[in-house]
Amino acid sequence: MLNPSSANAPSRDDLIDALLLKAEVEAFNEAYASALDEQRLADWAEMFTVNGFYNIISRENYDRKLPVGLIYCENRGMIRDRAFALEKTAMFAPRYLRHMVGNLKVAEAVDGSIDATANYVVFQVLFDRPDATIHQVGRYIDRFVREEGGLKLASRICIYDSLLIDNALCIPV
Amino acid sequence: MGFRKVAELDALRDGGVTGVEVDGVPIALFRMGNEVHATHGICTHALAFLKDGYVEDGTIECPLHQGVFDIRTGRALCAPLTQDLATYAAKVEGGAVFVDLDSASESPSDAGPLEEVQVAENTGGSSLPLVIAGAGQAAAAAIRAARAAGFSAPIHLVGAEPHLPYERPPLSKEALGDAFDRASACRLPPADVAALGVTFHPGVRVTAVDAEARVATLSDNAQIPYGALLIATGGTARRLGIPGDDLPGVHHLRTLEDAEAIAASLASARTVAVVGGGFIGLELASAARARGLKVVLLEREGELMSRLLPPALGAAFRRLAEAHGVEVRRDVAVEAITARDGALALATTTGEIFADTVLVGVGLVPETALAALAGCEVAGGIVVDAFGRTSVDGIWAAGDCALHHVPLDGRRGRLESWRNAEEQGAAAGRSIAGDTAARTEKAPWFWTDQFGLNIQMLGVPGTGNEVALTGTDGAAGAVYRTLADGRVTAVIAFSDAAAIRAARAELVSDTPFDLAAHGARLLAPQETNPTPIDPEEDDMSASPDVQFAKKYVWPQEGLSIIPDWVYTDETVYQREVERIFHGRTWNFVALECEIENPGDFIRSNVGPTPVVVARAEDGTIHVFENRCAHRAAEFCRDLSGNAKEFVCPYHQWSYDLKGNLVGVPFRRGVDGKGGMPKDFKPADHGLKQLNVTTHRGVVFASYADGMESFPEYLGPEVLREFEATFDGRKPKLLGHYRHSLPGNWKLYHENLKDPYHATLLHTFLVTFGLLVAGNKSLMLADPSGRHGVMASAKSDTTHIDADKKKEMRAYKEGMTLEEPRFMDFIDEFDSPWSVTMATIWPNLIVQREMNTLGIRHIVPTGPNEFIMKWTMFGFEGDDEEMTRHRLRQGNLMGPAGFLGLEDNEAIKFVQDGMLGVPGGEHLVKLDPGTEAGTADTLISEAAIRAMYRHWRDAMGIA
Repeated sequence: MLNPSSANAPSRDDLIDALLLKAEVEAFNEAYASALDEQRLADWAEMFTVNGFYNIISRENYDRKLPVGLIYCENRGMIRDRAFALEKTAMFAPRYLRHMVGNLKVAEAVDGSIDATANYVVFQVLFDRPDATIHQVGRYIDRFVREEGGLKLASRICIYDSLLIDNALCIPV
Repeated sequence: MGFRKVAELDALRDGGVTGVEVDGVPIALFRMGNEVHATHGICTHALAFLKDGYVEDGTIECPLHQGVFDIRTGRALCAPLTQDLATYAAKVEGGAVFVDLDSASESPSDAGPLEEVQVAENTGGSSLPLVIAGAGQAAAAAIRAARAAGFSAPIHLVGAEPHLPYERPPLSKEALGDAFDRASACRLPPADVAALGVTFHPGVRVTAVDAEARVATLSDNAQIPYGALLIATGGTARRLGIPGDDLPGVHHLRTLEDAEAIAASLASARTVAVVGGGFIGLELASAARARGLKVVLLEREGELMSRLLPPALGAAFRRLAEAHGVEVRRDVAVEAITARDGALALATTTGEIFADTVLVGVGLVPETALAALAGCEVAGGIVVDAFGRTSVDGIWAAGDCALHHVPLDGRRGRLESWRNAEEQGAAAGRSIAGDTAARTEKAPWFWTDQFGLNIQMLGVPGTGNEVALTGTDGAAGAVYRTLADGRVTAVIAFSDAAAIRAARAELVSDTPFDLAAHGARLLAPQETNPTPIDPEEDDMSASPDVQFAKKYVWPQEGLSIIPDWVYTDETVYQREVERIFHGRTWNFVALECEIENPGDFIRSNVGPTPVVVARAEDGTIHVFENRCAHRAAEFCRDLSGNAKEFVCPYHQWSYDLKGNLVGVPFRRGVDGKGGMPKDFKPADHGLKQLNVTTHRGVVFASYADGMESFPEYLGPEVLREFEATFDGRKPKLLGHYRHSLPGNWKLYHENLKDPYHATLLHTFLVTFGLLVAGNKSLMLADPSGRHGVMASAKSDTTHIDADKKKEMRAYKEGMTLEEPRFMDFIDEFDSPWSVTMATIWPNLIVQREMNTLGIRHIVPTGPNEFIMKWTMFGFEGDDEEMTRHRLRQGNLMGPAGFLGLEDNEAIKFVQDGMLGVPGGEHLVKLDPGTEAGTADTLISEAAIRAMYRHWRDAMGIA
């Protein structure tokens, strides 16, 4: 509620803090999307904490409390391995990707960590047809913590609505 | 460090390469007699183990890109190599091999020019040529088999006809129609003649043989000394031996020219007399009827083929011909033929018959004179053993002129069939090359195309056998079994290739054939005649099966070529749905744990067809089409759930959990008006229900009735692997992946029957050194060819010391995983394999990639795309850490898996290649030593070939 006249109205300072935090998370998500769009996967991996959790899971599984994910990493070591392997060993056709993040909601938890959700859309362009396709549509459920270099992801769960993956998911979301 | 013992000399194959590890360094050891050389074990070009390479003339050829190194000096001898290979000093002392990693082998510059190393070649003990008398199909098969087995001496092919070897079955079929291409029948095209080092002598016979001196004399007076002589002289068409049997207009059939002459005469004839009611006679009659001609068929005996088949079966063939307008006269012998008034008059024992053309099909006279001249034993055919050897040393025989090596139905006989020419020819070729390994005996198999049907016969019927029939006598789908003491001796199927496939098991079964269980009935020798079809309305070219068979012809090269239309053609795809997914197959639909409780259901698919899998109140599992019996609506829309009944939202028709129709709103109308007809019975309008079976918690469905049990369907070898994964513990659902793949569904099976790609495409494992030298592996194909298991065993890394482990993970500098534990294998299965990929025909892959377990369910949506639904599972009783281990290891597979995404991309690339450049064909020639089936090498495509042998059978593609 951004109504200063109501009884439990947040103070102007609180509102500014909330807006600044939201801007900070937004800036993080933009940097995150850029790293993936530019396929700088090593940079992407460093946006997680040492124990950072990363999972891309279908909404079908998530809603039924089934744990299987397309990419399932329990710490940054696994995330780095993923980034390194995709860059150095994986064979897939060249492609352009655009990660769009919006509808961000942010809440600060008591322990100082930050819970947030956002919607995401990934467009993909392959070089054998002219159009971009909507490769994945979903929602991030995030927990951020503040470390020396700024915000880091302690957890990002990517819950995708699209039932079918178009062939393969080569770059993370 | 000095010399270290690395192996026993006896453990190294002479002339071969062996891989060992010394302090974590992979070493290749090459034994040449009592001398051993050592080099680094990995190619300097790409990451490949030289132990898998090919040793020749003192060189080692890398298995990956055919780079060649000198074994003694390590010198890189050709492109793509740019860097020499490290060599190590090696010595042999006291029967043991020692290697010093710190010093190179003797100075390369001192080695001087390499001595010629004698390479063992298979010439069957002689470098003298192979001479083949007769240039038919058996000769072609022998040449290919001999060369494949390493035979390196010259080959002389001596043929009386002017043509290179061709197959004869088309002569009485396609060659009598329009637009026959001679080249399509050729079994040894000119390119192969050159490539296989064959000298062809057309229009020449072998006229004499000196078996002592081993010299063959040709009709052009040439003399050729031989190491081996193969007599494949075939035979000649039997003449009637009556006055007038050589008149113009009287035709026999053996050669291409004969077929062309018959085709020309049919083009101008109105009436045709066919003499002889065997398979050739019937095919000739069929060809004449296809042109709308009046056909009389004359048979000397009381029933057709009475010396080959029980009378009831001969009668079935006769009635088929009669039903298509052929006038069959039995107990008639032709005594003379005369030309009169522009036609031919046949004087017979029952009167005179006139015809424009006379086609004689009274059998074959084997050409055995040369064999007899050479001193070979001849008894109605040349006597040979299983390797094609005659009674005379150095002389082999094969094909129509040779006897089968074992008695058939109690007597020695010849098998005049395409299959026999191939097999006897190949057996002789291998034997001549020195390969005397016994091959599995296959039941004789034969096919004939007549009157719009493809008729196949497997086994050897006895003329006194009983005959059991399923289906409609004489119609497509009719299956005849000949029975001796209740056991099946042969199966004859009218346009039902699936029945022939099933028959393989029946022929070797010890249990008597159960008539009731198969819905079969015994045929009396004389059954009533069906109503003949009006010849004027009988247009055989309209039969869809015949049209299909004409349009879709497999390349003559055989299984080593796969044409693109197999993967891209809409008609082929529709036929796959009908004959495979809706045919005699068990299709995966669910895990039982997905429908644990009464009322639980999931949406699933059998082929492209949406079905519902539900558990009824009584605990039974039911599978029915997700298509309302009223207006076809796909009524069940939820992926899974629990229901008491299913109600179609359109008009509220309701069905119980078994798919029975329960309620039809306003069935009796309103106020006595409207409603369903009075005789409407809900029991007749349920959902289409499929047959269901379960095995170890996995649910399968089939459109076909009377399917064999699931264990029988898999066969013992594949069943063993299935049960190693589904080991009795209760599966626990962990979740799904679903993705669409822009490729043909069969490419997915092929990818998992193709162990060749594993280390080439998936560099992840190799790069990180996770693929350990010495892994055991297997590419299994079941006897039918439809199922397979790709298996490998991870070496137990827990018993390797830390230094070595570190070495294994760092074949390339800087390439290590931070979290390699996700690759750990927790040995929870009673199996020698840590990884198995079971391809279970037609729609299931069972993945056991160490501890990450998954079902992959293929749902084709057209020739160019399929959906893959993955069902990942663990077991009841897994603790949290085990579940997490399975999830971590799951990173290998699936649409984003380290290995999985590469397979998906590769399949897309293949389909793109076909769609972009249509009309091509694929090459699957790896490992010619195994034509089709289980391979003892991973550099093999034999399992893919086995799958296509089955597929062609199921699809009716000759």
